[in-house]
Amino acid sequence: MSVSAPSAPVALRPAAASPARSERRLAPRRAELGMLVLVYVLVTGLYVVAGLGASGKVPKDAPVFALATAILLASGHIALRRLAPYASAVFLPLAALLNGIGYVFISHLDSAEGSNQALWTVVGLACLIVTLALFPRAIDFERYRYLIALAGIALLLLPLVPHIGEDINGARLWVRAGPFSLQPEEFAKIALAIFFASVLAERADLLAAGTRRIGRWLVLEPRYLAPLAAAWGLSLLILLAENNLGASFLFFMLLVSMLWIATGRLAYLGLGAGLFAGAAVFALDVVHHAQTRVQAWLHPWAHFATSGYQIIEGWFGLAGGGMWGLGPGQGNARVIPEASTDFMFASIGEQIGLVGLSALLAIYLLLMGSGLRAAVRSERSFGKLLATGLSLLLVVQVFVVSGGITRVIPVTGIVLPFVSYGGSSLVSNYALLAILIRISNDNASLPHPGDDDGRVSRASSSQQSGRPLAVAREEAGTTGSLPL
Amino acid sequence: MNSINRRVRWAGLGACLLVLVVFAQLNYIQVFHASALENNPLNMRHIIQQYSKPRGAIISADGVTLAESVPSNDQYKYQRVYPKGALFGQITGYYSLTYGTDGLERQYNSVLSEATTKVSFPGSLHQLEKLLTTEPSLDDLHITVLSSLQSLARQQLAGRDGAVVALEPKTGAVLAMYSNPSYNPNPLASHNPAVEQAAWHKLQDNPGRPLAAAAYRQRFFPGSTFKVVTASAVYDHKPALAKKDFPVSTGLVLPDTAGQVLHNYAGEACGGQILELFTVSCDSGFGQIGLELGGKNLAEEAKAFGWDRPIPLDLPGVAESYFPPPSSFYRNAGALAKSAIGQESVQAVPLTLALDAAAIADKGVIMTPHLLSTVTGSQGQVVEKYKPKPWLRATSPATAAKLTTLMLSVVNSPNGTGVAAQIPGVEVAGKTGTAQTGGPNIETWFVAFAPAQDPKIAVCVLVENQPPATEYQGGTIAAPIAKAVIESYLQRTAP
Repeated sequence: MSVSAPSAPVALRPAAASPARSERRLAPRRAELGMLVLVYVLVTGLYVVAGLGASGKVPKDAPVFALATAILLASGHIALRRLAPYASAVFLPLAALLNGIGYVFISHLDSAEGSNQALWTVVGLACLIVTLALFPRAIDFERYRYLIALAGIALLLLPLVPHIGEDINGARLWVRAGPFSLQPEEFAKIALAIFFASVLAERADLLAAGTRRIGRWLVLEPRYLAPLAAAWGLSLLILLAENNLGASFLFFMLLVSMLWIATGRLAYLGLGAGLFAGAAVFALDVVHHAQTRVQAWLHPWAHFATSGYQIIEGWFGLAGGGMWGLGPGQGNARVIPEASTDFMFASIGEQIGLVGLSALLAIYLLLMGSGLRAAVRSERSFGKLLATGLSLLLVVQVFVVSGGITRVIPVTGIVLPFVSYGGSSLVSNYALLAILIRISNDNASLPHPGDDDGRVSRASSSQQSGRPLAVAREEAGTTGSLPL
Repeated sequence: MNSINRRVRWAGLGACLLVLVVFAQLNYIQVFHASALENNPLNMRHIIQQYSKPRGAIISADGVTLAESVPSNDQYKYQRVYPKGALFGQITGYYSLTYGTDGLERQYNSVLSEATTKVSFPGSLHQLEKLLTTEPSLDDLHITVLSSLQSLARQQLAGRDGAVVALEPKTGAVLAMYSNPSYNPNPLASHNPAVEQAAWHKLQDNPGRPLAAAAYRQRFFPGSTFKVVTASAVYDHKPALAKKDFPVSTGLVLPDTAGQVLHNYAGEACGGQILELFTVSCDSGFGQIGLELGGKNLAEEAKAFGWDRPIPLDLPGVAESYFPPPSSFYRNAGALAKSAIGQESVQAVPLTLALDAAAIADKGVIMTPHLLSTVTGSQGQVVEKYKPKPWLRATSPATAAKLTTLMLSVVNSPNGTGVAAQIPGVEVAGKTGTAQTGGPNIETWFVAFAPAQDPKIAVCVLVENQPPATEYQGGTIAAPIAKAVIESYLQRTAP
């Protein structure tokens, strides 16, 4: 297919930035700097307080921590100034806050995990910067969609390869290479979100309208669904082979919600619910791992000594935290199995209580809100769908984790984005953040005809600016464009 | 495009609803249902929290650490250790996850677990730091027992079942209190339940009942050591008896029995005034004294000497010594005669006999026995200091002086039963005891104090389960132990 689209908007960008334009360019970054300073104070303060709570002393490495945090935040900020100057100011501070909070609690649970997490934070930030540098426009993600989809599926297959794949806790989700182990599914999620978004952006109208009459029923035209079904089916198969139920639910949720958002056909939601119910029944019958999890979910007290132990200890931790928590660094979170990964939510909950957990949930909702805001502002359906998909992915992960611990749903092996211990999760979430930042940056930087400093009033953006852009893309030869 | 935006917003709202469900459930878990979860018997968090805190140290009078909390690498953060093991097990007690606490660990739990430092408005960074932490600055418990004297007591018992209690008569301070069999509290404080349980069951199966310290939790037949109380009763209630000559005889025909005879030990013949009777521990003579004193006088005297009442030692589970009520002697004068020489149903806790010796030493006053010396704060400052207080007036200073004479005679007279306790240059006052237990073996006793003019230490020694012989074993077996303890202590306190 033709992939000349990016060149068109680039050509429309004015050669020299006007003073007003550089002012606009700086405003979000200035706001970001202010928020980063706030985050810095919060995180270093938390580090000291947690150290006092755990050992009664100001941690000896507090100056090192303060310096490292300052360097990390500053480099993130400087990178955004150069690579995504127009992007919303809140993405980096919110992610940094979550990452910082997570690090403080991890380092008090297990200092070895703490230093690993510090290393992964550096790698994660590097990943954010590299992603932004490699993909200067959101459309670049679209250009390589098949490559990205293939990479995603290859990543998913990787744990099944003998010698490098590893079973941990009954699920085969890990890849080991020397001292490093990797959970490829974390990266595959993003790859598939990009693929879904690009395909759906291209075919949304067909998917919305295409039907075939079978008897008295109007059904969806299967032909248009084929690539999606193939991608989803393949990923599901792999996930079942790997026993990775949490991730397969996430993938499925991602596909169905993006399909509905792209087409507006509630039938997809219904179909999705039906498929999900079928898959759940099938999984319960076939996968022993799933049966245990469901039993522990429904009757944890009956399985206290075995599968219910983790949930109940998590609940005891949460109850011990109560309204205000025991205080950072205190309590007995180490009692809970997987306290720093799958059950991080409970171990934090013991220390910061209902108030703290509510604040944590609010941070995630803010991050999702910023992502959805970028989606709504995006001029192109690809950006809209991708930003929405990634934002939902983030919060649904949070729901699956916290819902599992609070027994709203069964426990799955998913971790809290940015907060839980784990390199793959942290690095991939920084990649996710980079994409959201990129889309947000595009929204504000894309110049609009008849608006020389690029500022678009709310009224004009929907009535005037959308259409000419689509026309511009048509002229540039992009196929399958949508009536914008 | 607008419709996509609308659906994006709907999707955002849906995600918010999911999070709201979690939030509602969190309210249930963390607030409404929290206390039920906290009180759930499966919830070990309170125990873990309690056992994760360091406790203050317990330190002997000679500066030896007897119990302390050291950092551990498990979930409890601190491990309670008892460096002296079984030597102080029955004093320190244990701090066990499964079996709770005992000994000083229980008695002074609040002192050991919380600092007495007052919380004030933080005036410095250091104080602010303290306010933000749960790490308490710990108070240490200093006790009156000397580790060296305790070691000597164990060494002198040489593995035989028995007890050694040494007190400072003027203050009531316990200087040594060791009994065999003792126990090592370390495995009971283990964080490994298997180790704890194995140690516990082994202690439960031990017939010597190590957890019930012989020194203060078990009762034994006191035998002739009770004559200290009987003799005091003479001076306090019927002084005329002190001047009476009792006929020399080998035994006393007991009234109210079918001609039963109370034989002297090993069939010896003895008699004379109270001094002679006391010196050779004449059973027939003291049996007669008991009959003439009457049950009421004897029981009153015993009560004054701390029998039949709880002993206010600062340890949990201290046993009471037993003297039968006067009514039990009605038409049962034989029992009265036997009780006067510490037989029949009279039963003594070794601690009581040490207190009775201390009463004679301290002019008739029994000071409250105690282990607590001082509580020191984290900077070593004294937070609390024990002030000696009297417990009972056992007898008059005059009677105490008379008894001192009698007890000196036991050790100093050539025919005294306690000559083995003689220390060159030190006047030792003592009384032997040899008690039948109903079984083949006997219990041997020695109570003493020294120096007689200015008593610094009162001792009670019990060696259980000794084979019978023709001599007074109280003198041959128990007295040398008392002598060693007294000698060592006096050397230590000598200028």
